[in-house]
Amino acid sequence: MYLQVKDVKKSYGKDTSYIQVLKGVSTGLERGQMCVIQGTSGSGKSTLLNCIGGLDTMDSGSITVDGTEIFGMKPAQLSDYRRDNLGFIFQFYNLVPNLTVRENIQICRYIAEKPLDIDELLETLGLTEHQNKFPAQLSGGQQQRCAIARALVKNPKLLLCDEPTGALDSKTSRDILVLLEKINEKYGTTMLIVTHNNSIKNMVHKVIIIKDGLVKKEYENEKRVPAAELEDL
Amino acid sequence: MNKILSKRLLRDLRTNFGRYAALLLLIVMGIYLVVSIVGSAEMIIQGTENHKSVNMVEDGQFTVFVPLSDENISELTDDGTQIEPMFSLDLKTKDNETLRMFRNREMIDLIQLDEGELAAKNGEAVIEKGYASAHNIHIGDTVIAGGTGFTITGIGSVPDYDMCIANFSDTAVERSSFGLLFTTAEQYDELRSAGGLNAEEYTYAYRLGNISNDELKEKIRDIKITPESVEDKFFRETIEEILDERNEIENGVSKLNDGAMELSEGLDNLSSHSSELRDAADKLFEGYLAQANTSLAAAGQDIVLTKENYHDTLEKLTAATHSEQLSALMKSLDELSEFRNGISEYTEGADSAAEGSEELSDGVKELKDKTDRLLDEIFDVDIENLTSFVTAEDNIRIGGAAGDMVMDKNAGLIAGVIVLALFAYVISVFVVHQIEQEQSVIGALYALGVKKKNLMLHYITMPTLIAFIAGVIGAALGFSPLGVSTQAQDSYSYFSIPEFKTVYPPYLIAYAVILPPVICAAVNAFVINKKLSRTALSLMKNEQSAGSYKQFTLKTKSFPRLFAIRQLVRESRSAVTMICGMLVAIMVVMLGLDCYVMCSNVRDYTVSDTKYEYQYLYKYPEKTVPDGGEAAYIETLSTDCMGYTLDVTVIGIDGKSKYFDARPEKGKTKAVINSSLVERYGYKVGDRVVFSNSAADADHSFTVTGISEYSVGFTIFMDIGSMRELFGKDEDYFNTVYSDKRLDIDEGRLYSVTTKEDVERSASVFVKLMFSLVVTLIAAGTVVFCVVMYLMLGIMIDRSAMGISLIKIFGYRPKEIRSLYLNGNLFVVAVGAAIAVPLAKKAMDLIFPSFIPNVACAMKLSFPWYLYVIIYFAIILVYAVINSLLIRKIRKISPAEILKNRE
Repeated sequence: MYLQVKDVKKSYGKDTSYIQVLKGVSTGLERGQMCVIQGTSGSGKSTLLNCIGGLDTMDSGSITVDGTEIFGMKPAQLSDYRRDNLGFIFQFYNLVPNLTVRENIQICRYIAEKPLDIDELLETLGLTEHQNKFPAQLSGGQQQRCAIARALVKNPKLLLCDEPTGALDSKTSRDILVLLEKINEKYGTTMLIVTHNNSIKNMVHKVIIIKDGLVKKEYENEKRVPAAELEDL
Repeated sequence: MNKILSKRLLRDLRTNFGRYAALLLLIVMGIYLVVSIVGSAEMIIQGTENHKSVNMVEDGQFTVFVPLSDENISELTDDGTQIEPMFSLDLKTKDNETLRMFRNREMIDLIQLDEGELAAKNGEAVIEKGYASAHNIHIGDTVIAGGTGFTITGIGSVPDYDMCIANFSDTAVERSSFGLLFTTAEQYDELRSAGGLNAEEYTYAYRLGNISNDELKEKIRDIKITPESVEDKFFRETIEEILDERNEIENGVSKLNDGAMELSEGLDNLSSHSSELRDAADKLFEGYLAQANTSLAAAGQDIVLTKENYHDTLEKLTAATHSEQLSALMKSLDELSEFRNGISEYTEGADSAAEGSEELSDGVKELKDKTDRLLDEIFDVDIENLTSFVTAEDNIRIGGAAGDMVMDKNAGLIAGVIVLALFAYVISVFVVHQIEQEQSVIGALYALGVKKKNLMLHYITMPTLIAFIAGVIGAALGFSPLGVSTQAQDSYSYFSIPEFKTVYPPYLIAYAVILPPVICAAVNAFVINKKLSRTALSLMKNEQSAGSYKQFTLKTKSFPRLFAIRQLVRESRSAVTMICGMLVAIMVVMLGLDCYVMCSNVRDYTVSDTKYEYQYLYKYPEKTVPDGGEAAYIETLSTDCMGYTLDVTVIGIDGKSKYFDARPEKGKTKAVINSSLVERYGYKVGDRVVFSNSAADADHSFTVTGISEYSVGFTIFMDIGSMRELFGKDEDYFNTVYSDKRLDIDEGRLYSVTTKEDVERSASVFVKLMFSLVVTLIAAGTVVFCVVMYLMLGIMIDRSAMGISLIKIFGYRPKEIRSLYLNGNLFVVAVGAAIAVPLAKKAMDLIFPSFIPNVACAMKLSFPWYLYVIIYFAIILVYAVINSLLIRKIRKISPAEILKNRE
């Protein structure tokens, strides 16, 4: 398996404020798969994503990405792990406000070993005419496309998306999802998408449902619905 | 609503603890700085005034040759003026130190005891506190001076020796070698009558009644004494020299008078025999004429010759007879007639000369009388008793500590203005940043219906409270022993003054406690009001103004460089904010450094410009210059500086002076001025400068013909001959001798001897007295600077925090993060320091002269180059330390936390 998660546990706080968010999550993902993690608020889906992304440490368990164990990595190793393997897309885009679209993308291109061509990417994402604009001059969808371009420019093996359409309207959400689907097909990028949106699960290869810190259910879609045809986004 | 919001205050304090702590520290240090400096200056100034008032400080003092009689004192005090003798004897200790002994004071310049009591019987004494401290003398100890042992019963000070120096010409206090001793009148008289001590100084202190200083001086001048009653041998020698000149003139006129009288008598005598001589000549002629008539009658000639017709008659007869006898007779008679006429003329002349000589004699007698009267007027043998008259205002021993505090107070007040500006600035930056961070919360609350004034009150409360608490802490620290007392320590260890009680000037309390919260509240209100002018939605969305960022292209291919430059340019407002903060904070440090540099430069330049080893200032000048000495003539004029009257020394020198580089031209209105005057007043060659001569109540105008690199006080140089002419002195007059070795000059003839060591010592006093001020300014200024850097850098890093965290998520390594974000900050600090350091220095240099309007000295404020380098690298070092502290905080935050906060 490309991504292997075994008995991952994660807790926060001490004494009365102690809370165990992940209580032993185990799951996995094949290379090139698109996967959705679903769950209610506080179920632990974002925490799991952060642990996989090396943004947060786990208490115990194991996460391997392409055979590399994350657990026990030091901050510098985690940093290199993210640099070499991952791309991130966030709900609120997290663009650097005083950098233009192109410059925001350049940030990630700079540290990539085999970066994608920025102009091609801008073209693919429909941002060519906006490349010299600042985030504040863009719509939400444009900002998210910029964030996707930034994540993709490194040509990551694993793309982690945390509610990528959470702040967008349904049309823009669909556009973004079509884009992700296109990228998956074009670059073979493995994608892990955390979302509340029930419709998105229909377009991916695999669905993982988390409840109360445990994997309640996981399954693979036998028949995927193209993103462009998704309803109730 | 406010109650609910107020619950957030403590949480806000916890969250932003570092920042609030820094703000608190900034205000505490700033207020401490100002309160300690200004408070100590006020304490010394007001304390000195109070000390003067309580201890009945004199209005002035005068010294006389001969003690005043009871009748004299009665005349001088009939208008209510108080006069008390302050006679003194200088006693030597076994280590050859001097203790000036006085009687206990009764009316004027009373002794203020720090501990113990006044001397009550023989063998007891109160000792001056400075000397006691320097020699570790305590009550009950015995001090031997003038061969007598004194048990110390008290330690204290007197207001007329605030600056405890032996002579007015002394430039620096030497606590270990000069002090005061106060004994009972009996003890004093006993020691005086025992003899073997230096001459007693007959000084009187006075407190004016219904009379001015000048009027009292005139009254004292009217008291005359005879030269014989004066004990000072050099004074008597000078008087005798003057009297010799009178005697010479008087003797000459007397001799002239005697000669005239003798001449008159001789001629009178001669004139008295004139008629006898005339009669004899007549008789001789008439006898010879009678004999001729007899001979002519005998020869048958019937002719009678008379004195009128003899010549014509005999001439006719001789022509008719051709008689040789008649011709011889006529010739003889002609000769006799001529003789008779000559005698007559001579006697008439003698009579006239006798009359003239009598007139001459009368005239010379009148001349003598008038000359005698004139000599009496010019050479007044009834001399004035007064030898010196010094008002309290001109007495450098009085109020020295308070005068010294003028610079401290001015420096403190300027620091106060800078610190206030800094508060306002930092608070505004702080608040703007905080409000920007909180604007979505403000927007939400605004949208929920919370009123503007409630929001303002909420956001104003914490920083205002912090500012108020900081002001109170700063004021408490400033007024505590750590503040004013520490600051005043240098004054206490130099001047002879009592330990004053701390004073609490209302303006200083208002400055410390009221202004910081008021400024804070005003700045907050302004910023929040401006923010709340936006719509609630705009605030909630945390909308950024895209217009605030500028797009531009750069040619560089290096992404980190490109990124850093763009980041820097787009955050230029933050950079400017940072540089402005640095500038204002550096100004306080620069103020301290300027104080130190000026004092040490004054010391160094004074020492290097003093080329002589000895300066002898004459009280009774000699006629000839001692071997090995160079004569000069010194007078003191004055000039005005911001309401203060400062001395200007005029030195008349020879064109080839060995000790001064000035080469003044001949001319009564030409002078070379020294560099101190140039630095203070900006004079240049060709300018006309005017200085006052208060003694003569006149002004002297000079054309500047050159500038001398001589930086001791305010000095102008004149050609000695022209100067003598200007001040009406003899052509060989001098009152000062410079030399590079000790000269053999009678001490009694001298007013003072100043060695190069004395000059060095007095020049070092500045550094010594300013030390605590300098240390406080630099230390507190450095803390203030560090806090400002911490706050400003914190804000800059905060603005980059999201970007830094993001690129950490993307996998950037620390070195790469530094090159993208933090090196830009280093660049801002490096460039900012390069701008702010010289700018702060320039600003301080411009206002610095106003700190010391009461000191006539050079204004040499230039730093050695390495000091700039040190300051520059110190700033970079401070940046590095603060930056690493702030970055450590960012490093500790997990990337996930950043994302969570953002969402």
